Amino acid sequence: MNVARLAVRPSAVARTTEVYSLAGRQSMNVPSVSRSSFKFSTSTPAYCASHKATPTSSTANTSPGQTDTSGADRFSSALRQNKEWAAQTAREHPDLFPTLATGQQPQILWLGCSDSRCPETTLLGLKPGDVFVHRNIANILHPGDLSSGAVIEYAVEHLRVKHIVVCGHTACGGVAAAMGNKQLGILDPWLLPLRLVRERNLALLQSLSPDEAALKLVELNVREGLDVVKQKGAVLSAIQERGLQVHGLIYDVGSGVLRELDTQDSEEVIRSRLTAFATQA
Amino acid sequence: MNRLRQHSLEQIFNNNKKWVLSKTGADPAFFDKLAAGQSPDYLYIGCSDSRVPANEIMGLEAGEVFVHRNIANLVPNVDLNVMSVINYAVRHLKVKHIIVCGHYNCGGVKAALTPADLGLLNPWLRNIRDVYRLHEKELDAIADESARYNRLIELNVVESCRNVIKTAAVQQSYRDNQFPIVHGWVFDLRDGLLKDLDIGFEAMLKDVMKIYSLSSDKDPK
Repeated sequence: MNVARLAVRPSAVARTTEVYSLAGRQSMNVPSVSRSSFKFSTSTPAYCASHKATPTSSTANTSPGQTDTSGADRFSSALRQNKEWAAQTAREHPDLFPTLATGQQPQILWLGCSDSRCPETTLLGLKPGDVFVHRNIANILHPGDLSSGAVIEYAVEHLRVKHIVVCGHTACGGVAAAMGNKQLGILDPWLLPLRLVRERNLALLQSLSPDEAALKLVELNVREGLDVVKQKGAVLSAIQERGLQVHGLIYDVGSGVLRELDTQDSEEVIRSRLTAFATQA
Repeated sequence: MNRLRQHSLEQIFNNNKKWVLSKTGADPAFFDKLAAGQSPDYLYIGCSDSRVPANEIMGLEAGEVFVHRNIANLVPNVDLNVMSVINYAVRHLKVKHIIVCGHYNCGGVKAALTPADLGLLNPWLRNIRDVYRLHEKELDAIADESARYNRLIELNVVESCRNVIKTAAVQQSYRDNQFPIVHGWVFDLRDGLLKDLDIGFEAMLKDVMKIYSLSSDKDPK
């Protein structure tokens, strides 16, 4: 690793594992511009904010001397933390790594958001080997997306998972973007399904406060994602033939708690879906 | 392991509650801070494989790493999914590092080396065969099959890094801010350790810009 290259980024230094926290970040007087950028502020061009976080400005309360004693930058600390994690995991679960090397048999496929606050394996209290994962912007499932399509196909047909979870979360930046009308380049086609849901539920969403409307769109997006999952032939067959279960969850980033949505379909919905989407070899 | 694998969804909700208690026990304001927003330093692009959970292997907490995971940690040039993730992470979250992380024993890479029709998976996995074609001489010269497979896993990571660097978001942000820096890692399931492939970001960026440059002085900053 090119440590010299990394060392020029003081915004990343002086945060050891021990002192690092989001609060610590504020106390170091590092501009927290990106903190609010997930709201897609319409007043400032998205690129502008980064200039405030350039190395010179973020060193304000950090003397170079502190850098050396604090264990260097966040990047090398991640590699160091990996060594610590590997050693600790091997101590606590001596069989884990030898077992992992032989293959994976996860029971759960997790389709969630890329948001850093939603680490699936951690918040589920599970271990490596337990959850097969796809995470993208705003946990959107496009019917024709090859990436999530390949993940679902592999998980259902080859790994034969028992549960598929679509998980949305509160304070989702993608949902906030879709509730606004700012042009976002390549993100626009990605967020399109969210806007379709917004359009279909316009009256309902407009009757709510902005916060309630955003949360409602999070929920509607999960339901939409579940529909897309259950429209896939492989998933429908697995539901019928081996009892695959599909769940919709909302994760509250403000409390860490998961909530399961009632996503039980009526018999009529199930009948129509099977008629339209079930396929045979 | 068997005990761990036989979890029901009910157990998972119990696990979740235990995790919440462990966090709030250590820091009562843990979730309040997360509720205020995210400002991760890292974007992690890795494999969907259940054995390679991003936060655990990096020893990071909730809020510290933005994550995209797909089959075989690919970054296909026309995949709107991963391109949206890179765009958002670089332009809106201003991540300082982008990590592409592969792993040995990758089922996706193995499948791509197998002469079999895998239906829906074919077009996705074909990207890995393209990586083989780009490095055909080097790979064919490796006599040992598992060593060749491991090398393809590494080269696939390097190719994904190259594709990350082809994006306008990365090129322009690096020009203006000197970040993000792109890294290629491989995770070893046998011991849980990460290996840095030392892709040489600056040299790779320079090389990529020769043909793929999407940044000029006129770009918005």
